[in-house]
Amino acid sequence: MAGAKNHDYHILQPDPWPLIGAMSALALASGGIMWMKGAHYGSLLFGFGLICVLFTMFSWWSNVIKEAHQGDHTPVVQLHLRYGMVLFIASEVMFFVGWFWAFFDFSLFPAPVVWDAASKTASLATENIAAASVWPPKGIEVINAFQFPLLNTIILLLSGTTVTWAHHALIHNQRGGAMKGLWGLIGVGENDGVKKGLWLTIVLGVLFSSIQAYEYSEAPFPFKGLNYGASFFMATGFHGFHVLIGTIFLTVNLIRAYKGDFTPKQHFGFEAAAWYWHFVDVVWLFLFITIYVWGGWGAPVHAG
Amino acid sequence: MSDIALTPNAFEAHHGGHEHHHDADHKPGFFARWFMSTNHKDIGTLYLIFAITAGIIGGAISGLMRAELMHPGIQYLGQWANTLNHIRGGGDVNMDQARHLWNVLVTAHGLIMVFFMVMPAMIGGFGNWFVPLMIGAPDMAFPRMNNISFWLLIPSFTLLLASPFFGGADGGAGTGWTVYAPLSTQEAGPSVDMAILSLHLAGASSILGAINFITTIFNMRAPGMTLHKMPLFVWSVLVTAFLLLLALPVLAAAITMLLTDRNFGTTFFQAEGGGDPILYQHLFWFFGHPEVYIMILPGFGMISQIIATFSKKPVFGYLGMAYAMVAIGVVGFIVWAHHMFTTGLSVNTKMYFTAATMVIAVPTGIKIFSWIATMWGGSLTFKTPMVWAMGFIFMFTVGGVTGVVLANGGVDDYMQDTYYVVAHFHYVLSLGAVFSLFAGFYYWFPKMSGRMYNEFLGHLHFWVFFIGVNVLFFPMHFLGLQGMPRRYPDYPNAFEHFNTVATVGYMIMIAGMGVFFVNLIWSLIAGKKAPDNPWGEGATTLEWTLSSPPPFHQFETLPVIDAGDSHHH
Amino acid sequence: MRFIGVKTAMLAAGLMLAGAGQAAPQAPTAPPPATAATPAAPTTAAPAATTTAASGAKATPAAATPAANDPLLSMDGAPPMKPTAGIGQPVDGEIGLQPQVTKNGERAAWFHNGPLLWTITIISAFVLALLLWVIVRYNRRSNPVPSKTAHNTMIEVVWTLLPVVILVLLAIPSIGLLQAQFAPPPKSAITLKVTGNQWYWTYSYPDNGGFEITSNLLKEKDEVSPGERARTDDDGPRLLAVDNRVVLPVGVPIRLITTSADVIHSWAMPAFWIKLDAVPGRLNETSFTIEKPGLYFGQCSELCGPKHAYMPIAVEAVPLDLYNKWVVAKGGKVAGAADPAAAPAAANASAPVDANAAAPADNMTAPDNAAAGNSTGQ
Ligand code: HEA
Ligand code: HEA
Ligand code: CUA
Ligand SMILES: [Cu+2]
Repeated sequence: MAGAKNHDYHILQPDPWPLIGAMSALALASGGIMWMKGAHYGSLLFGFGLICVLFTMFSWWSNVIKEAHQGDHTPVVQLHLRYGMVLFIASEVMFFVGWFWAFFDFSLFPAPVVWDAASKTASLATENIAAASVWPPKGIEVINAFQFPLLNTIILLLSGTTVTWAHHALIHNQRGGAMKGLWGLIGVGENDGVKKGLWLTIVLGVLFSSIQAYEYSEAPFPFKGLNYGASFFMATGFHGFHVLIGTIFLTVNLIRAYKGDFTPKQHFGFEAAAWYWHFVDVVWLFLFITIYVWGGWGAPVHAG
Repeated sequence: MSDIALTPNAFEAHHGGHEHHHDADHKPGFFARWFMSTNHKDIGTLYLIFAITAGIIGGAISGLMRAELMHPGIQYLGQWANTLNHIRGGGDVNMDQARHLWNVLVTAHGLIMVFFMVMPAMIGGFGNWFVPLMIGAPDMAFPRMNNISFWLLIPSFTLLLASPFFGGADGGAGTGWTVYAPLSTQEAGPSVDMAILSLHLAGASSILGAINFITTIFNMRAPGMTLHKMPLFVWSVLVTAFLLLLALPVLAAAITMLLTDRNFGTTFFQAEGGGDPILYQHLFWFFGHPEVYIMILPGFGMISQIIATFSKKPVFGYLGMAYAMVAIGVVGFIVWAHHMFTTGLSVNTKMYFTAATMVIAVPTGIKIFSWIATMWGGSLTFKTPMVWAMGFIFMFTVGGVTGVVLANGGVDDYMQDTYYVVAHFHYVLSLGAVFSLFAGFYYWFPKMSGRMYNEFLGHLHFWVFFIGVNVLFFPMHFLGLQGMPRRYPDYPNAFEHFNTVATVGYMIMIAGMGVFFVNLIWSLIAGKKAPDNPWGEGATTLEWTLSSPPPFHQFETLPVIDAGDSHHH
Repeated sequence: MRFIGVKTAMLAAGLMLAGAGQAAPQAPTAPPPATAATPAAPTTAAPAATTTAASGAKATPAAATPAANDPLLSMDGAPPMKPTAGIGQPVDGEIGLQPQVTKNGERAAWFHNGPLLWTITIISAFVLALLLWVIVRYNRRSNPVPSKTAHNTMIEVVWTLLPVVILVLLAIPSIGLLQAQFAPPPKSAITLKVTGNQWYWTYSYPDNGGFEITSNLLKEKDEVSPGERARTDDDGPRLLAVDNRVVLPVGVPIRLITTSADVIHSWAMPAFWIKLDAVPGRLNETSFTIEKPGLYFGQCSELCGPKHAYMPIAVEAVPLDLYNKWVVAKGGKVAGAADPAAAPAAANASAPVDANAAAPADNMTAPDNAAAGNSTGQ
């Protein structure tokens, strides 16, 4: 409708990806159910759906980037995107409210459940109920909050500063420069605070995820069979999942930075990733304080 | 909304646009237009078609339910369950499997009506169609995301509708629409998982839609349209979108816990593993109560537009009306445990939730009385939408006041899970939300389709439906007071009388729906051509400044809203 | 499961001890529909006749219920207490609450039938009246020129504050009712522990030695398997009658504790204004005091699977002495010094019972099962 329109909004042409995305979600969901129920080809259908969903996302956002380059993202449209991202993060916050709710229900009103580490079974105490009603449940050892979790806290906080560095560099157009030293080897110019900041953030994110994965593998309590494990793993696990998404999001921005995208005035893709990263950071702080420190208080700490 | 006084300027702008830019009406080809749409009106139409289809399915299921309930004893369930199981490829079922089908029907009916009829119709359908038009915007903020909100409903609905066909003779999700644990974690087979993932997808659809509406309303209002000049329908969608945005993710978390309890051995809701079944109820109702206002607020918005239009008067107490909805939305988040009065809450908790719940009657009362005050002194014409709107006001009041009875924690111990509750929520839903849907549908039908509906058939539809649903649902209060529990396929013989009456009411109601569909089809084919504004001077919102139907792309030059508020005298 | 097995055995032992009949131990998942009752042995204790629970409403001759007061029969034999139409069960075509037989129930029913029902009726009628008035007065013909009034601060304040006042006036008795419902029962209260199962109830009496009974729906004649006991009208209405009723004393505070062995159920007894969810892993507690002897029916009120509609509740409220006799017959222990079985007549004279026995109105609508004489007095 070029020429006719007299406003700054972005009127889109028909687009196949919503339909494809929705159908991919159907494949993903049905495949997931089939897989969980042990039906034939369930995992295949699930994988197929997943690939289609990811491909939809890729194509969709590629188009968004293309449109940005075409100049469709006028100031008002950029404002849309800002609103959209803030609201999306708000909904994510409420999602975590659900997991925290579960955690506080279990920890503030503990059930008289006793974990037998040897047989890996939980049972409800029939006598001394009051004494058995403790959090964390009797019989489990918790992760030492002041080892890896504290390290992870520091890592995430640090990554918050590095991403802010990248942002400042972007706003002040500190980019390019001579290719020197190690940075030069990976194509990052001397003055390129954007790429440096992003690289560091991503590396810290990966480090966080690796430590988290290691910690999961060493966790002294199970995922199954006990509310402690359920609330711990699902809350920290969904956080971990968001760290992964955030890392991918930052990586996309790093790639775009290599491609020379972003101007000091227009770089919302970057900002969205940064916001998301901060959100993930804040959620971790809550997790660290409530689940690791407060929620593990008084329980025997797993050695090693 | 009356608060928008159009400058002659705005009219000029539109007509100018309409006449000169033939581009504006250039439509894509069939497939691109309907399957790849980025046009809010087309997506709105898709939503409406979807909602009407779901309404027919959900209504038909309730017909099966009413047939079974007409008399005590199990009449048809065995038959139906056999048929269903033959479709699944199995043999005849036993009695318990037949009874399980009852729970499957009730669950499907509740979920379909809530998630696939009312919500898509109000927010997806009317919201999509008229929010941009009313704020003078060319489209939604995220037109492509708008489309995936719609298309996600297709897999979602597919999963739900397919769920009874899996899981063998015990298949189907028989958990109630509330999907309480541990019943829902105990039912084996894939059906409940399908229902859960259906809700996940519907939730994702709604969250994306909510983001879209909030952004659109905050950011795309025509020059001069301040928040305080926005039509009340837009206000209602704005508040609703916030409720969706904040409530649905909590449901998503809750049903994810169900999923992992069911499939991966977690014990969120399993007492043996220290879990807490009541936790599920808290999470569900933290979503569930806002959800009931999600289902009614857009209706409130539509009623405001319609009452003002056919009274030829601006809405009375505009600001009070807008902020009453905000208040309902806010308070709606802190009353959830009134659904849990019998779960063993402490006395203080019950007192708090009793008091908090009652508070909502105040802003709701402001709405009821402001509508009446709008009519007061007006010059009323009783076109079909107006008749539905007035029916709404009365029937919603009846449903609302029984809510106030239930709000009393000490009283609700008696009514909880009886037909009194069923009566309450059908008055606010089937006689509230649905009345507002019909009101809105008749009101905007000429605008959307470009044709007039038949006034006589519209009135006939109203009266038959009105009588039918009252005969159908009013006796349920009596059943509830006599103690009849809900979710029962069979009941002691002493409940027969009013159950028979209710089923007769269903039959009357269905005749009314027949009239609706006749009217719909007849009007689409042969209805008179609709003028831009068929309702006259009372209809002051921007959509009436456009042609009927509006151009494919409207407001290519944005309308300017006069700062001087001419209606204030 | 093992647990239930033990309890079933205990139950059987208790019954044998009492010589009341036999409860064949059955598969634990399908608790015993009590079979083969010993026929009712007429008791001779004359005083007991004054408290017999023979139906007051049915015009059956008194002779038809000769043994009605033998507490030993309440488990397996023909029930000593017949249902009374209109009491403790729904009535076809009736539009109001079931008659209440607890103080809190009466209080709640008063609150509902009085303040609440009147308020909501008046508000609804008021809204309707206003609507009719605007239809008549402000239609296009009567009022061709609309006014432009869109504000009136005064009236807006009124319709905000007036509902507030109304709601506060409702909240006060509502809070009072909650307080009354939550008043802790005295130490002397008798505890009834209810466990919901898919799909039957088990009841245990921790204060009476902890014996346990299992209560199942009584099926209809055409539904029972050979040898299984079918429902008769004396057991109660279809879908409400159970094989083993809960027996509770009248006039004694009952502490009700609910829990569940599988999914959530809800123990609901409309005539007591009691509904309490039975939640696995939780013990919910409330209390009530039954004021009138009688047979009261309720139904499971939380969706619990295919047979949610098929796990009714029947409470037989009897005078304390009969209750105690029944407890002993079950192999349970009776609290207190006096052996109730030794002095049935004396126990019959206990105050709460007397109060009820003395109260009977001839009026058959009075919820009164206490006077045997009623059956002939209609
Ligand atoms: C559109 C949907 C909708 C709406 C708007 C409402 C509105 C209200 N609801 Fe309802 N409700 C449901 C849908 C809805 N409900 C559903 C679906 C359930 C059952 C869920 C399930 O279990 O499956 C339910 C259940 C439900 C319960 C739980 C019952 C139980 O399970 O035991 C309660 C208890 O408090 C309740 C209360 C209320 C109240 C106080 C309002 C108030 O908002 C009503 C306010 C309105 C008025 C009061 C009328 C107008 C006001 C005036 C004219 C002013 C003057 C009035 C006074 C001073 C009183 N509702
Ligand atoms: C919006 C919600 C809604 C609506 C409209 C209805 C409508 C009806 N309901 Fe519904 N019902 C529920 C929501 C709704 N119900 C819920 C949530 C439950 C609880 C489930 C549970 O316990 O888990 C329930 C439970 C329930 C029961 C209790 C079952 C039980 O406890 O065992 C019964 C019994 O009679 C019943 C009957 C009916 C009937 C006969 C209708 C008839 O009115 C139906 C007639 C059909 C219509 C009125 C729809 C027509 C609409 C359209 C065709 C779309 C129009 C669209 C546009 C104009 C855009 N319902
Ligand atoms: Cu047990 Cu319903
Ligand atoms: Cu609610």
